[in-house]
Amino acid sequence: MAHPSQLGFQDAASPVMEELLHFHDHALMIVFLISTLVLYIIVAMVTTKLTNKFILDSQEIEIIWTLLPAIILILIALPSLRILYLMDEINDPHLTIKAMGHQWYWSYEYTDYEDLGFDSYMIPTQDLAPGQFRLLEADHRMVVPVESPIRILISAEDVLHSWAVPSLGVKMDAVPGRLNQTAFIASRPGVFYGQCSEICGANHSFMPIVVEAVPLEHFENWSSLMLEDA
Amino acid sequence: CVQSRLTLHVRNDKMLAIVRKQLRNHPALIPLFFFIGGGAAMSLLYLARLGLRNPDVCWDRKNNPEPWNKLGPTDQYKFFAVNMDYSKLKKDRPDF
Repeated sequence: MAHPSQLGFQDAASPVMEELLHFHDHALMIVFLISTLVLYIIVAMVTTKLTNKFILDSQEIEIIWTLLPAIILILIALPSLRILYLMDEINDPHLTIKAMGHQWYWSYEYTDYEDLGFDSYMIPTQDLAPGQFRLLEADHRMVVPVESPIRILISAEDVLHSWAVPSLGVKMDAVPGRLNQTAFIASRPGVFYGQCSEICGANHSFMPIVVEAVPLEHFENWSSLMLEDA
Repeated sequence: CVQSRLTLHVRNDKMLAIVRKQLRNHPALIPLFFFIGGGAAMSLLYLARLGLRNPDVCWDRKNNPEPWNKLGPTDQYKFFAVNMDYSKLKKDRPDF
């Protein structure tokens, strides 16, 4: 989850998010280098006592400052396009979960084998146990097996919502009347938080998403328990 | 800026001669033509590929009305496959 005064991304919990982190490091480093160079040139221009009024043009420097930015842009574009296509790949999922957005909660349906469905409401601040996170905890978490490709089908029952979990690198709009698909692999066991990312009314900030990745046996025990309770 | 003043209001065949003369005096324009021209060519080629190969596009309403319903389980319709070998996928949907 996010921590106070955080500036960067949350730690990656899926291979796609790791790739996104590395690409962001690459692009940000290029941006820092260029900005430092430009700042240095500005300071040098402003603080020099030299003046020269007779240079009109120069072919060599024009070639350099056409070629170099073009090469830098290609070096940014190639990894970027690779990640773009990587994020869209269909990766033969082991499990399909439907996430439906409502005003103002999410409901999850695991219908591959049995009919398991439940709602996930935010835990109100006055009902939090010590150690729980304000505005992020939900009463029923979406439990998934770790290291398995999971397909999520996302839609909405009333207005636009958006299902987002930053540490998994997933965000997909929940559009009423439309079925959107996305997929992820949780690389490690843990609890991953996200919040609704499309304005949907009064409690838009109060419908969080909690994904809990557990080993497969724990997932099977959990789903049997949930089916008995239903 | 060097070009625009000289190439406005001139016929097409004279434009090439004028550009060639400018290139001789300002060879720094060559990388510019190369990258801008290359970028424009790549964009147009990708748009053409999208228009002709994307299964979401329907050109012939009579003979091929809904091409998005004809996708096979091993079709790769995206331009680039990073990690996935689509020919290995199996079909697990019922026919209808």
